[in-house]
Amino acid sequence: MVRIYVIDNGGQWTHREWRTLRDLDVETNIVPNITLLKDLEKENIQGLVLSGGAPRIGLDSKLGNCAEYLDNAEFPILGICAGHQFMARHFGGEVKPSKIPEFGQVELTLCNADDPLFKGVVKKSIVWESHNDEVTVLPKDFILLAESENCKTQAMRHKKKQFYGLQFHPEVEHTQYGERIFQNFIHLCEQ
Amino acid sequence: MFNAEKFVEKTISNLQNEIKSKALIAFSGGVDSTVCAALVNKAIGKQLIAVHVNTGYMRKNEPEQVKQMMEDLSLNYRFVTASNEYYLALKGVEEPEMKRKIIGEKFIRIFEKVAREEKIDYLVQGTIAPDWIESGGGLRDTIKSHHNVGGLPQDMKLKLVEPLRDLYKDEVRKVARALQLSVSERQPFPGPGLAIRIIGEATPERTELVRDACDIVETEIERASKQKLMELPWQYFAVLIPIKTVGVHGDKRAYGNTIAIRAVQSVDAMTCHYSTIPHEVLDTISTKITNTLKENVTRIVYDVTNKPPGTVEWE
Repeated sequence: MVRIYVIDNGGQWTHREWRTLRDLDVETNIVPNITLLKDLEKENIQGLVLSGGAPRIGLDSKLGNCAEYLDNAEFPILGICAGHQFMARHFGGEVKPSKIPEFGQVELTLCNADDPLFKGVVKKSIVWESHNDEVTVLPKDFILLAESENCKTQAMRHKKKQFYGLQFHPEVEHTQYGERIFQNFIHLCEQ
Repeated sequence: MFNAEKFVEKTISNLQNEIKSKALIAFSGGVDSTVCAALVNKAIGKQLIAVHVNTGYMRKNEPEQVKQMMEDLSLNYRFVTASNEYYLALKGVEEPEMKRKIIGEKFIRIFEKVAREEKIDYLVQGTIAPDWIESGGGLRDTIKSHHNVGGLPQDMKLKLVEPLRDLYKDEVRKVARALQLSVSERQPFPGPGLAIRIIGEATPERTELVRDACDIVETEIERASKQKLMELPWQYFAVLIPIKTVGVHGDKRAYGNTIAIRAVQSVDAMTCHYSTIPHEVLDTISTKITNTLKENVTRIVYDVTNKPPGTVEWE
């Protein structure tokens, strides 16, 4: 059984991330974002999800201990919403309040259909969103994986590490290929 | 994957360890509290007392139905009618969070009174994941204070037992089916009841209006779904918006309130899509509500907001 924890950044859907992982037979726990990396390593986790949350990454710069995980983790990390924005900012990208924020149903377009995280996901699909800020400049070590009409950076990946950021929410019921994306992430963690 | 049978087994054994004396369950008659009551009943039997409070903000005929349910489940129960108390407490209150907190506190004060009389230490609640998630705390923003979480008074002495905390509605329904409870498919109804389906002050008069309107929406949508005109929504109801618009009733000017029709599709209440109601059904609902509520309601609107950005209930 693969072990993937969820870092709680105060999201409405943090517990949904936990549920999706649990439903896919992952050993999972929700832990506060002030948890130290060494304490996570003691539990032999194989992957981490950085949840979304109310903190405005477009306005503030901190998100608990998330920086430490991104600097030193040897396992795959999936940042969602605020977690994704923080990842972008941390690696030198830019995050700003969205000119047109997205809430609810949005069409996602893949720019890189070959990425393992999007295996089995069609080029255009329905995803659900809930964000006030967005990544406006992609960090230089990252490649763009998906976009939407009003938000250029919907998905990104680190060029060398297994670090992914998603602006949309794969954990909610209404996102068409959400579970598939989680399955793909779990597969990356198992390797 | 969530396994309801295993959950039932594990929860009953946990409850036997956790509850060491008499317990009271806050029983609304909805899926969550009924499942909870059935589980605790299996764990501690007659040590459990179910308490139902008629707040005055229940739907049409609901108090009688809940009483019957408690009979059918052979629960040891108390039925408290407190409508006037609630109406008085909400007099002049318009702010939605204030309404929720006043209602939450009133529930607890009533439970505490029963607990004192019956020498009870434990309060069982059918709290599920969205209740504590949306109530916020710590890093998490408060979307709305659910009466059973964010509405609990600070000085409450009863020990809380919440066996369904990690479950969502679809999972609670699975447990209800595993326990063969007829309530398993009942649509959700919020603890604060019709008080949060009235924008602004929830007066007894406005409550009667929204009660009738909710009844019409429920009846017509259930009929339409039986006739296969539409899928039965996850939740469906009416909201009273005390904004007046001009109408014409029998060649005379009318100036009445607005009613919104709200229906959503969901699995877990964390994301919802508004339901597509066929125009012929909307038409029937619109005519029935305006003709039944006469000069009090002159306009019907249809809510087409998803969650997010909206929430299911308006407050």
